[in-house]
Amino acid sequence: MERSSVAFDQNLSGAADFPALLRRKGLLASAVIPPMPQAGTPQKTWQPTEATTILAFKFSGGVLVAGDRRATAGNTVVYDRADKVLEIDRHSIMAIAGVPATAWEMARVLEHSFQFFRRTQLQEMSVDGKVRALSKLLRDNFGLVMQGVGVVVPIFATYDSHPKPEARLYFYDAMGAQFEAADYAATGSGSPAVRGILYYENNWGRKPLHKLSEEEAVSVALRALDTAAESDTSTGGVDRGGKIYPIIKIVSREGITTLPESKIAAVFKETVA
Amino acid sequence: MIEEPYRWVEAIANRREYIEAQLAPGSPIAAVGYRDGILFLTVGQTRQKLFEIYDRIAMGAIGHPGDIERLRMAAIELASTEGFTRSAADVSLRRLVHYSLSPVMKSAFEQVYGAPYLARMLFAEVGESPNEDLFLRVEYDGEIATNGGTHAQARQDFAVLSGTRQSRELMEAFLKSQHAPDASFEVALNSALDAWSIGHMSLQDGDANGQPERAAILKHRQEQLATRGIEAAVLERDSSRAIRYRSLSDTELRSLIHE
Repeated sequence: MERSSVAFDQNLSGAADFPALLRRKGLLASAVIPPMPQAGTPQKTWQPTEATTILAFKFSGGVLVAGDRRATAGNTVVYDRADKVLEIDRHSIMAIAGVPATAWEMARVLEHSFQFFRRTQLQEMSVDGKVRALSKLLRDNFGLVMQGVGVVVPIFATYDSHPKPEARLYFYDAMGAQFEAADYAATGSGSPAVRGILYYENNWGRKPLHKLSEEEAVSVALRALDTAAESDTSTGGVDRGGKIYPIIKIVSREGITTLPESKIAAVFKETVA
Repeated sequence: MIEEPYRWVEAIANRREYIEAQLAPGSPIAAVGYRDGILFLTVGQTRQKLFEIYDRIAMGAIGHPGDIERLRMAAIELASTEGFTRSAADVSLRRLVHYSLSPVMKSAFEQVYGAPYLARMLFAEVGESPNEDLFLRVEYDGEIATNGGTHAQARQDFAVLSGTRQSRELMEAFLKSQHAPDASFEVALNSALDAWSIGHMSLQDGDANGQPERAAILKHRQEQLATRGIEAAVLERDSSRAIRYRSLSDTELRSLIHE
């Protein structure tokens, strides 16, 4: 006699893999294999459309992750209070550039994956495991990216306690390759400008980035986002009229802190505006 | 031979007897609600017996490790997929146990050619206030006992699990008289530990009837704690964090125990 299919899946292989469980239950789309190009058909070239600016760098108090608030569709601003800096667990942040629907779902899958792993395996997933998990989601999504929809290029910041306590920062490409950043990372359409600023600050600024205090770090982040917004229409920067400030979160040994708007506003008023 | 109804009844009765005998040595688990959450407690097992199921749900179990594992995994999978597709607020212990676990355990128990689940489980879900806390005990045959008020009993803010019925009833009687839902953590911890001791004493000396003397409880508790560790976990009522489950270490509890 068969047992109720609702409740019990006797297949214990890969029991710790949450995306695989979702696929078994039909709750997550399978990985799409990019279609083979046909001879003679015109090739559609893939346009990168990560219209936003996300940045992260290590400073004296951990990793600072900042993102502007604008969401766009082509030339239209759809939303000016988007949250692109997402908390995945108590020590991990995923900041997203790319198509919001895919990115937010990825964040959701990732958040549940880490918790699912901890609950089923009775231990925390390692930082390397977490970094790989995101890489795999990106890889599975690449077929859709090649079809011109659903590109996501995230940054992942976390705090590792093993073997030694340190902040870790990773950036990815759309295919899922992961790169560990020594000092800083930036992604999205406004990122070339930001990368320039962070490179300059790190080498010839008053202090290298990793020595900045929290206030100095916030100031650099705001200036960088404002610079990106200056030429990139898809980046909101700081909306001076509407008083909409970027989201800034800090990952440290103690966990994640979201900077209150009043604090960001104060630094902005003093050092940016 | 099972085709004949009375044979089936006999087979079920034999199976019940067999399972009860297998579960009988299972060490007690006490779950008590207090002001700031729900405390799960047991003493000194080599194998982990308390588990996190979802944000607000925890489980304790006795039985065969393989069966406990299958049930635990099923509960986590169900809760996680529900939490993922809808939201954490839609994950409910009542639905999980009543609609998924209990029917499956019942049919496994009654399919006499297949193996039943050798497990007895205690679940709790923390609410916003003590009177919203939910406790459910699920038996190997799918039977469910709740802490809710019925015509036969008043609502309770605790639930226990043990190897034998007598042991369980002694623990329940103790907590009914000693435990208040608005207790502090320290008071709840000591009541839970006393309840565990009473249940454990009953398992060791099955002939003894009625509540043991206060001094005997303390003595038993001290003897046990001298050589074994406390396994405990809380579901915190504090809603500032989504994940309420936290396991507690033996060392952080020792200083709170009244000798």
